[in-house]
Amino acid sequence: MKTILLGLILSVAALAQTPGPQETHREKPAVNAGPMPRGADGKPDFQGVWEVRSPGGNAAYDVEDHLKAVYGIPPGKGVIVDPTDGKIPYLPAAAQRKQDLVAHHMYDDPEAHCFLSGIPRQVYAPFGFQILQPANYVLFLFENFHAYRVIPTDGRPHLPADIKTFEGDSRGRWDGDTLVVDVTNQNDRTWFDMAGNFHSDELHVIERYTPVDANTIDYRASIEDPKTFSRPWTIAFPITRITRPGYEIMELACVEGERDLKHYTEGEGGGNKK
Amino acid sequence: MKLRPLFFLIAVVPALAQYHAPRTANGQPDLQGIWQAETTSSYDIQAHSAHLGMPAGTGIVVGGEIPYTPEAAAQKRQNFQNRATADPNNKCFLPGVPRANYMPFPFQIFQTAKDVAILYEYVHAYRLIPLDGSKHPEDVDFWMGDSRGHWEGDTLVVDVADSNDQTWFDASGNFHSGASHVIERYTRTGPDTISYEATIEDPKVFTKPWNISLPFYRRLEKNLQLMEYDCYAYEEPSK
Repeated sequence: MKTILLGLILSVAALAQTPGPQETHREKPAVNAGPMPRGADGKPDFQGVWEVRSPGGNAAYDVEDHLKAVYGIPPGKGVIVDPTDGKIPYLPAAAQRKQDLVAHHMYDDPEAHCFLSGIPRQVYAPFGFQILQPANYVLFLFENFHAYRVIPTDGRPHLPADIKTFEGDSRGRWDGDTLVVDVTNQNDRTWFDMAGNFHSDELHVIERYTPVDANTIDYRASIEDPKTFSRPWTIAFPITRITRPGYEIMELACVEGERDLKHYTEGEGGGNKK
Repeated sequence: MKLRPLFFLIAVVPALAQYHAPRTANGQPDLQGIWQAETTSSYDIQAHSAHLGMPAGTGIVVGGEIPYTPEAAAQKRQNFQNRATADPNNKCFLPGVPRANYMPFPFQIFQTAKDVAILYEYVHAYRLIPLDGSKHPEDVDFWMGDSRGHWEGDTLVVDVADSNDQTWFDASGNFHSGASHVIERYTRTGPDTISYEATIEDPKVFTKPWNISLPFYRRLEKNLQLMEYDCYAYEEPSK
């Protein structure tokens, strides 16, 4: 127990050092885990169970820096590495809408309604996920809301633009050892986080999964949406392998036992409850 | 008399010509692809007449009868009366096993050296089926149960335990308890067909094990991929 407590204090102390933007997203692995294994096709073998830990996990609350706790969101560093001020480059009208969402519509957080998270939020949503690499595909199986992503790597074109989905349409390709995933066809019903950061149905996300060592993937996503942002912006954080022996992902059903919405108060836009 | 050897040949060829499934890179029988059941069984797994919005069907229960205990048979009749509101699928809940396999939606089977994954378009349900001989976890239950698989020749055998007591077999109130145990057998029978058989045991509800049997057909449309059916997200926000 003492060890755990000491570990906790040390972690808090480490967080309190507020590293600069460069260090924040370049966590050095504690032990030398060796290189990422390779599959029979010579590509990096990402198969296994993974999670996004703090600081990347802070993004689930707010992708921007949020130094004051608000609406149950603890303070934390964001994950935006470009622009360097760590802020989402909203167009003026979009910035206004973001403020309105924060002031009046936090109850509308799509995740609170058990809707699929969308990309990139799905990646840093709480709980772990498993990566499988069957022939011609990379699969992500998430605990959260039993979401999955099927990413073909055979070069096929995207779905017709008229089809909009929560999780979008993912197409993968290898750029050297980096898995590049192009995500289109997302609807405008998902947010980036609990803080009301939003996008339109013109969202285009380009994700890059680069092996750092056997237990670490560097994740970077470039986010474009000309209806909402004045320029593309980029988030980055490490994805960490869960190395506990025997660990298995489990089913996290949401709509089947949803009890979140009642926690929203009038002050959080709960007045919109119907 | 001269024809007899030919007759003999015709008689034995079907038995000898049992389909030999192609192999994956790992040497496993290849079940991969996008498949779908063509059956009315998500409405009723037993033989049934047509109703409004419900086509008639011959059912998938081997022998036709489900061996309910008397109490369970009464419960089934009550479920049928209340099916419009009581069917868990009408609340967009996870459909459970085996119902997920014969919903009128496609599903995709993937294989790696260690696992088989079945991803369902319907409410983005998925099953990860380890082939490593590991055991079911204890004292936990899931909407989709816990699946562990192994190969018996060309057949993938999946043992499904840890299901909760909240899912139904169909929209007609056929049900099980949390003690349900399903043993599934997936066997390729041709380039575009899988034979699916499942044995269902549940001593709290049935007097003996019973079986369902149906084929899965490969979906052959060009550029087909699993789409997204996020059931509850399409309802009115005022639900």
